Amino acid sequence: MTQVTRIVGRSVPRMDAPGKVTGTALYAADFALPGMLYGRVLRSHEPHARLVRLDTSRAARLPGVRAVITAPDVPDVRYGGSVKDERVLARDRIRFAGQPLAAVAATSPDAAAAALAAIEVVCEPLVPVLDVAAALAPGAPLVHEAWASYTALPILHRDRNVCNRARIVVGDVERGFVEADRIFENRFTTSSVHQGYTEPRAAVAQWDSSGLVTVWSNTQLPFEIQTTLAEILQLPPSKVRIIVPGIGGGFGGKLRIGMEHFAALLAMRTGRPVKVMTTSEEELTAAYPRQPAIVEVKTGVTNDGRLTAREARLWFDTGAFAGSGPGVASVATLMLAGPYRIPNLLLEGFAVYTNKTNFGSFRAPSGPQANFAVESQMDIIADALGLDPLELRLKNIVREGEEGPTGQVLTAVGLEECLRRAADAIGWRDRRPRAGRGKGIACGWWTTTGGSSGVYVKINPDGTVALNTGAAEIGTAALTGAAQVLAEDLGVQLADINVVSADTLSTPYDFGAQGSRTAFAVGNACRAAVADLKRQILALASKHLGVEEHALALREGSVVGEGKRTTLGELARISQASGGGLIAHGTFVAPPTPYDAKRVEGHVYPAFHSPSFHAHAADLSVDAETGEITIHRYVVAQDVGFAVNPAAIEGQIEGGVAQGLGQALSEEIVYENGRVLNANLTDYKMPTTLDVPRVESILVQHPTLVGPFGAKGVGEPPNIEPPAAIANAVASATGVRITTLPITAEKVALALRARAT
Amino acid sequence: MTFDYHEPTSLREAIELGARFGVDGRFLAGGTDLMVQIHRGRLNPRHVVSLQCVPGLDAIEVDGAISLGARVTHRRIETTTDFQGALRALVEGAEVVGGHQVRNVATVGGNIVNASPAADVVVVLLALEARLTSLGPAGERTIALDGFGTAPGVTVLRPNELLTRASFPRLAPRTATAFLKAGRRRAMEISIACVAARLTLDAALERCQDVRIALGAVAPTAMRARSAERYLEGRPLTDEVTREAGRIAATECRPIGDVRASARYRALLVATLVPRVLARCLERIRFHTS
Ligand SMILES: Cc1cc2nc3c(=O)[nH]c(=O)nc-3n(C[C@H](O)[C@H](O)[C@H](O)COP(=O)(O)OP(=O)(O)OC[C@H]3O[C@@H](n4cnc5c(N)ncnc54)[C@H](O)[C@@H]3O)c2cc1C
Repeated sequence: MTQVTRIVGRSVPRMDAPGKVTGTALYAADFALPGMLYGRVLRSHEPHARLVRLDTSRAARLPGVRAVITAPDVPDVRYGGSVKDERVLARDRIRFAGQPLAAVAATSPDAAAAALAAIEVVCEPLVPVLDVAAALAPGAPLVHEAWASYTALPILHRDRNVCNRARIVVGDVERGFVEADRIFENRFTTSSVHQGYTEPRAAVAQWDSSGLVTVWSNTQLPFEIQTTLAEILQLPPSKVRIIVPGIGGGFGGKLRIGMEHFAALLAMRTGRPVKVMTTSEEELTAAYPRQPAIVEVKTGVTNDGRLTAREARLWFDTGAFAGSGPGVASVATLMLAGPYRIPNLLLEGFAVYTNKTNFGSFRAPSGPQANFAVESQMDIIADALGLDPLELRLKNIVREGEEGPTGQVLTAVGLEECLRRAADAIGWRDRRPRAGRGKGIACGWWTTTGGSSGVYVKINPDGTVALNTGAAEIGTAALTGAAQVLAEDLGVQLADINVVSADTLSTPYDFGAQGSRTAFAVGNACRAAVADLKRQILALASKHLGVEEHALALREGSVVGEGKRTTLGELARISQASGGGLIAHGTFVAPPTPYDAKRVEGHVYPAFHSPSFHAHAADLSVDAETGEITIHRYVVAQDVGFAVNPAAIEGQIEGGVAQGLGQALSEEIVYENGRVLNANLTDYKMPTTLDVPRVESILVQHPTLVGPFGAKGVGEPPNIEPPAAIANAVASATGVRITTLPITAEKVALALRARAT
Repeated sequence: MTFDYHEPTSLREAIELGARFGVDGRFLAGGTDLMVQIHRGRLNPRHVVSLQCVPGLDAIEVDGAISLGARVTHRRIETTTDFQGALRALVEGAEVVGGHQVRNVATVGGNIVNASPAADVVVVLLALEARLTSLGPAGERTIALDGFGTAPGVTVLRPNELLTRASFPRLAPRTATAFLKAGRRRAMEISIACVAARLTLDAALERCQDVRIALGAVAPTAMRARSAERYLEGRPLTDEVTREAGRIAATECRPIGDVRASARYRALLVATLVPRVLARCLERIRFHTS
């Protein structure tokens, strides 16, 4: 299918780029109001304790301090998306080192910091539940003693420290293992990693005389924050207005409530605007970094490499609260199946409470953890059977029209093309060019998250167009993509479009900047709006020009027909004088993806909408003595459906790979006895420009029927495969298989030594 | 975090302020260690005395003995022509400190006085047998760099003393230097182990006539690998010999395990990097004398 397009399908500069590269773009962290106070949060040092006493009297008397609040000052509300298990401030029980105990507002950041230091905390330490194994041990202390009484999504399977067990059952794994010639059982573990957004989480809150609180925040989900904040403040949602001035990166870390509630509560208490912004230490101890995982995979395979059965379990450490855990544990089960045709499956994902921060969603949540395990195992299997890892994959990947693990029918499956093109580009035939150098490949699939989007599209009297959307531009060029779709359909230039976004009072609803959905869903809502607008425009133009509607066409900002012509601007002016202006409300909701409900249990995400497919290939060398890894080339072939803005997609791929290589090689939040040892950017090691190779992108295009012009979600996938691709390349270069993330030089060197002796 | 900021314009004034504030004061050079420590609440000086406007601290002298003023930045070392040859280790140490922004302001003096066991340029200077010159109310004194640091962050410098320069003898003929560092990433990285060497060969370019090996991040202070040095003296520099020197150095270092690396890996890196810096020195000597 080739389409002749003017604006979509072309590499256009991002609409938000000039402001960002010249430093004039406004971020939430820049936002300030006159008379604003600075808020800070006092956090627990203990991972698990009974809170005996908080003495704030000395802090409250310090110069510049305007408010100190503790739990009794806050409505007694437990909130949470899937399980209502969290409070704004700890009442009597402390559940992680970093948990908020009190909040202060003062006239300067230093005065606020001094106030925190002056609060006296008395607590009785309890035995902490340090990890998943401890949480699941018989007789383990309960992180939430009253877990059974909490309000929770009814679909969840909860049991003591397990806040969800999601399951997929297909066929009969026991029978599948009997059919197998060989059975492989492997265990993998991954570490927690931070989203590494450049801009800390920040919020400024101000109340007005009508009792409305406005919060300027860098949230990815203004409408979800509106609901949660209204619940915390015990207000109707209409009394809470969330505006996103700009976001300096989110990657899933800014989905859940961050600083908004502290800012709102302190502003209410003081009657002044209050700004709260996190420090690096707070980010690394008390944010929503990726869940660490333990993954056990047992796979049956015939001697000629046909997968017959897989039984796999993945345990996420979700920390002290459920948060995203139950949902991410569900998604994990789909990722454990991999993009493979396996007739018998028993896949389980667990979200397990521990006394740590509430680990959360990070770009393709569950993707890298599950993919690292199953794609590492594919190479283990290939090696054991004497098969080429690429051939083993090609033999088992899902194909057009086949079923996904939960019975969804897969269409637009570009996986074979991704695998072959990535392998060709990396020079797969010469997989081990010399000792210490090797190539690795890994593939996967991912969803385009559903949810609904609304837009208002208005024609201005000068013929330009206003796009009003509830979505936020998170830095992915997603709204540029949506605007390209709008410009394409409406027959105007991209430069004619102005975007207004992410204000819960004035913009239409949007499910938010999450799950690779923004360009997809907002783009489709734009298409719906244009369809409506075109009807309005043609009707008005027909009247104005005296030409039948069917004889008119929209072309380059004008309506033409029978030799006559009028402009969109002129029609907008006519409409303003006579009909209230040209405006349309376009909406989109991803159609449900049918699946077999009998196959799933405890599952909040049973099918992948308009799934994307991808393959990554790495070529690297390993220093045999120091274990240091040097990546020579890195290739990504990603089936994007239709590339709305190829340059922007390449940017997403390059960024996702950089982040993925951090997870693969260097990043980890290190815990010891429930406390983070490296809560600073000296010892939390995100890759630098010198650590990331040039990333070569191949855009594969198998269009979907649902996405705008056939597009699929593209933002998250590049983050999924790097750990597995690197692990496989390291194994190919050295013969040593590292099964824990990150794959540090130290691990490689010590493994090489262990093998040598 | 509050302190009084002072900006003396002469050495004398700087010393006077240093003497007046004693332990309540701190000198500020590039601030890349000091400000971080103040921000993290590890240091809380009442007075900060900037060396920014003090003249005479930023000279590099290369006639006769080589001398680096305390306020010489890592960037200047990197770009000094005289250091690109036999003194290459200085460049190799300086060019891997932090990133560009850090190197543009961070100084040799700060690297030395901060006394981190992982200070890269200190390790190079130790291999060059540098001596330090300090100035205090009682006048000037010189102190050997070896032994200057006594524990992480602790030196024999008195609170009111200013470090003015580090100097070391001219290199003998048939001498070269090299430095290597290991870390989890390629920039903005604190060494998990680093090694510097100064090697002089005999006239036949076969045997080790004289060698100094310094190790970083594998003991409470930067340290000399004296047993390895003794072992090497007079020996031909075969692969076997340099590997043995690495093994000896690995046993004499005293690394800890921490969030950056295990003690075992640090020792393994010493065993690996010592032969590699020696090989680099050899290559350089042979290249320059052939
Ligand atoms: C992001 C980052 C990365 C870094 N990476 C590295 C690295 O890779 N390798 C490395 O070795 N270091 C690294 N450092 C540490 C630091 O940059 C170096 O140690 C640097 O050389 C310190 O110099 P400075 O001029 O900034 O010292 P300052 O911070 O100004 O001073 C450090 C200490 O020395 C004292 N002092 C300074 N000058 C004098 C003087 N003339 N007389 C007496 N006392 C004095 C100060 O009072 C203070 O106690 C890094 C720092 C940062 C922030």
